Amino acid sequence: MTISDQTLERMRELASRYPQPRSALLPMLHLVQSVDGEVTTDGINACAEVLGISPAEVTGVSTFYTMYKRKPVGEHHIGVCVNTLCGLLGGDAVYDALSERLGVGHNEPTADGKFSLERIECQAACTHAPVMTVDWEFIDDVTPAAAVDVVDRLERGEQVLSTRGPAIRTFQATEHTLAFPDDGLAGEGTSVDDKMLAGLRYAKEHNMSAPAHGQEA
Amino acid sequence: MTENTTTEIVPTVSVTIDGVALQVPKGTLAIRAAEMIGVEIPRFCDHPLLEPVAACRACLIEVEGMPKPQPACAQVVGEGMTIRTQQSSEVAKDAQEGVMEFLLINHPLDCPVCDKGGECPLQNQAMSAGRGESRFEGEKRTFDKPINVSAQILLDRERCVSCARCTRFADQIAGDPMIELLERGAQQQVGTASDEPFDSYFSGNTVQICPVGALTSAAYRFRSRPFDLVSVPTTCEHCASGCSLRTDYRRGVVTRRLAWDSPEVNEEWNCDKGRFAFAYLAEGRITTPLVREDGELRPASWPEAIDVAARGLAAAGSRTGVLTGGRLTQEDAYGYAKFARAVLGTDSIDFRARATSPEETQFLRAAVAGAPIGVTYTALEQAPFVLLVGFEPEDESPIVFLRLRKARTRVVSVGAVATRGLDKMGGELLAALPGQEAAALRDLPADIRAALEQPGAVILAGERIAASAGAPSAVSTLAASTGAALAWVPRRAGERGALDAGALAGLLPGGRPLIDAQARAQVAAIWGIDTAALPGLPGLSGDDLLTSASRVGLSALLVAGVDPVDLPDPALALRAVDTAAFVVALDHHHSAVTERADVVLPVALVTEKSGTFLDWEGRPRPFGQVFKDALTMSDATVLGMIASAIGTSAGAWDVNGIRRELTALGPWQGARAVVPGVQPQAAAGAGFRLASWRELLDAGVLQEGEPFLAATARPSAAIVSAAAAARLGSPATVTVTGPAGSVTLPLEVGAVLDDVVFVPMHSSECSIYRDLGARIGTAVDVTAGGAA
Repeated sequence: MTISDQTLERMRELASRYPQPRSALLPMLHLVQSVDGEVTTDGINACAEVLGISPAEVTGVSTFYTMYKRKPVGEHHIGVCVNTLCGLLGGDAVYDALSERLGVGHNEPTADGKFSLERIECQAACTHAPVMTVDWEFIDDVTPAAAVDVVDRLERGEQVLSTRGPAIRTFQATEHTLAFPDDGLAGEGTSVDDKMLAGLRYAKEHNMSAPAHGQEA
Repeated sequence: MTENTTTEIVPTVSVTIDGVALQVPKGTLAIRAAEMIGVEIPRFCDHPLLEPVAACRACLIEVEGMPKPQPACAQVVGEGMTIRTQQSSEVAKDAQEGVMEFLLINHPLDCPVCDKGGECPLQNQAMSAGRGESRFEGEKRTFDKPINVSAQILLDRERCVSCARCTRFADQIAGDPMIELLERGAQQQVGTASDEPFDSYFSGNTVQICPVGALTSAAYRFRSRPFDLVSVPTTCEHCASGCSLRTDYRRGVVTRRLAWDSPEVNEEWNCDKGRFAFAYLAEGRITTPLVREDGELRPASWPEAIDVAARGLAAAGSRTGVLTGGRLTQEDAYGYAKFARAVLGTDSIDFRARATSPEETQFLRAAVAGAPIGVTYTALEQAPFVLLVGFEPEDESPIVFLRLRKARTRVVSVGAVATRGLDKMGGELLAALPGQEAAALRDLPADIRAALEQPGAVILAGERIAASAGAPSAVSTLAASTGAALAWVPRRAGERGALDAGALAGLLPGGRPLIDAQARAQVAAIWGIDTAALPGLPGLSGDDLLTSASRVGLSALLVAGVDPVDLPDPALALRAVDTAAFVVALDHHHSAVTERADVVLPVALVTEKSGTFLDWEGRPRPFGQVFKDALTMSDATVLGMIASAIGTSAGAWDVNGIRRELTALGPWQGARAVVPGVQPQAAAGAGFRLASWRELLDAGVLQEGEPFLAATARPSAAIVSAAAAARLGSPATVTVTGPAGSVTLPLEVGAVLDDVVFVPMHSSECSIYRDLGARIGTAVDVTAGGAA
């Protein structure tokens, strides 16, 4: 796929939002993924041209961050956190169940291009461990059966809501929101719920605070 | 040019390193401060000419008051700082050994088959600063090997320690950030974008500064072990930048060339042509003298060939023309200058195998020949403003390019193409149609004139001012009226030396005017001849020499290393050679001239003789003989043999004797020719104007036999502006037609003036003189598609 003039225009718009245009590279790469479904060579060259940097420099950034995909992903991209806490609380089992259900491994798309699966790192949602993400939207406190159910429903074309609210759209749709978080969709649902604030509440009630620098805890 | 050499008070700070108290200039890095007391801290990513990055962590030291070991390569020494290196601190020693162990975890133990083995900082420092045994028992990370980051540069990723020297060099020094660190964690690796190889003119430097064997060159990979090589310091013969090189050879064959340290000139860098283009040294040599008999060249003995050459040249005498090419050492060029005047009595001599003009001849006599060193690399670095005229540094003198880029000087180029090189220097284009630079200089915008009036401002004029009527005059006038320093930057390595040696009509050695009585007397005295024996009037040069030879038939031509295809009218040059009654060619390789010569005398290559190139600054860059047992003779030595066969000795013909004569003569102190006063000329004809120059990597004969280098050359293309491309219908290819023919090339859109087309002067696909019969500035036709 090639980058259209319209996409180039939107890239320039992103670049103009920052004092250093180069700072716009991360949202621009999300924009590329929203258009091409992955970070394509055309997308890299377009980013380089808009920002006046080299394609190698763009490639360096796009390969450093795991959210940028250099291979096609599914219409829905599913991540399962397998870091320590999620993994121990069932994340590994969730991953295995999904892998079996979809017939694919880490960073592989299904043959029909509907899904892809990834072992992901900590999503800062340990309160709701284990978590999985569908197109980067959270499914909290997930079990192997619940995870497979999400896949089944998506396959049937049913609407699936993320645990904290937003409707699951597609990988490319979410990528567009990541490129333009001001599209009105980013704030959908609640990112923080009561359970996640329990610790903070407890600390406040008991006047707990972090030790000052250099002091013993 | 005044250089700022006054004693400046540099603020210092006090520091204690391993118990030794010392004062260092403020801003000194701990790793440099430690070097000052002889303590070598291990390092990989650190390089004195690159910005600190602290990527490899090998140089950890203990700094009092800091909670953790600090990287010495990025730690600026502060006042009163107490530093302990591995010499006095267990913490530092332990940290360094720990880092070394980490670096070696994924590093293969393939030193016995690695090109770096024997000269490898990792190998050496693993011994000096590492533990003897690794505790790692897992499986090492492996990659497919090697990958081509360019046709020339290969990467074995598993050897890389991610020091980022190569990527920082590409970005900071060359301005070609086509390699980057890709991926992350254990997968971190150097790589390129998927469709843009590392085709930088300076890519070979990354191989040299790679502290492990990760980067190798296709040319040298698996060719030899460093400890089997003999190394000789040499000077690069490819251009007038004057790079110091180290030539490594084994069993009589050059295996590689490296950039060698020369802080005043090339610092520690060189270009890929200088590094890789030496295959010609070993291939296609002329091995014996040749003499024409019954229309055919046949091998002859030296005494016979010298005898034939001497008789033929003596018979022609002052009716001989001498073409020396631009590649000779100063000593050899001096040999021709002397041979022409003292032995043959001719002044028709020219070292310029390229476009010339009588105006340029006068400019060189007046402003350059024998002039002391004026503008230097350092002066360029300190200049507030540099104006380029007829000069594309990245292609025509790459080290000048690197220095201008380093200095971030304000650069303005008078020309028709805003090149990638100009962009990398942050330069601006002052539009001038090709060949019309003089008019642009006459009508210079006030701000540029004001910039030139700043102390230290410099005008750099390239060899292409010769192809631009009025340009030599204009740069001279401009320098005089603004006070800017003027330097002439020829392209070929031997041009400045030949000019100072007197290998140009009207000029005796040291810039002495041929027609000046005192100059004649000085030279005649050194040569041990009668002043009256010197030619009385300036002879022919440039096109006149060839035209005259071709028309009236100069009786003889003496030619050294001239390829007619380099001349603006190759056919005229060949006709001149054909019509001359007698032609002697001194060369190491066959050419269109040697094929037509009556006597061919093989001469030494740069590796087989010692000599001196004067770089564009006028700085002597002497070099020694690489192959000491070579049986070949230098041009000057051979000329001396012919001279003695003719019966005129005229002083020394050996390199040391010639150097003594050059020193005794010294530069001319008397009156010089006046600078030319040619007015700009309006362009004739309609259509696209041809802009062209010699790209660094092209079809030059000294680049033969090195396919990997050639594959990194810029693809030949006809480059026009976006508007011009649209007018042509944006075809994939265009046909450029000149007076003598046409070529079809891919069309490229670039920052070129409208109605200008850039075509490389002499690439493998196109040679403008030969194929188009066009010169710089000639009106040419550009049409869409292939030839009709």
